[in-house]
Amino acid sequence: MPEVEFTINTETGEMEIHIEGIKGAACADVAKLAKELLGHPAREENTPEFYVRPRVQKQIQPKKK
Amino acid sequence: MSKYLTFTDVIFTNQALLLAALADLGYTEVEQGEGLHLYGYQGDVRAERAEVVVRRRFIGSASNDLGFARTGVGYTPVISEYDQRTLHDGKFVARLRAAYNERVVKEMQQRLRGSLRRETQGKLVKLRIRY
Repeated sequence: MPEVEFTINTETGEMEIHIEGIKGAACADVAKLAKELLGHPAREENTPEFYVRPRVQKQIQPKKK
Repeated sequence: MSKYLTFTDVIFTNQALLLAALADLGYTEVEQGEGLHLYGYQGDVRAERAEVVVRRRFIGSASNDLGFARTGVGYTPVISEYDQRTLHDGKFVARLRAAYNERVVKEMQQRLRGSLRRETQGKLVKLRIRY
């Protein structure tokens, strides 16, 4: 299940965001929403999961006789 | 006389969430307009202007107006040196950032139509949205 984890440091008010379980471009959509509300981050890096292409599987149903 | 400081590295992108975060810290009376004058604790008009203002009467008798000036990328705090030192034990900007960030998380939860879990670990607040 996709999860977005936020860690807020109450001493400084700074926040870190970690996006998990979302592959490829869908992850960029969540990041875009975060940037819309927060502005550009001081640091940004993609996890290996970002580079994974979502697999689209064809479903072939047997012909009904 | 206390001089005003402008925190250009602290940006609140969304005005509605900024107002909500100010309310979370107890500042519910907020004036909004174009280039509003800021007043010092003696009622003296200051050179600084802002688009979102908490008037000093809602802060404290020795306080100056608290402003947020609109820039091309969002709102940046314009706070007197005195208030920066005294408001919320000198942690006003940090507390406001934390409150704003929590509001951002709630906004994202609504937009992603997810569930939200919150836990505190010392000085860290962990929030998780699942959707």
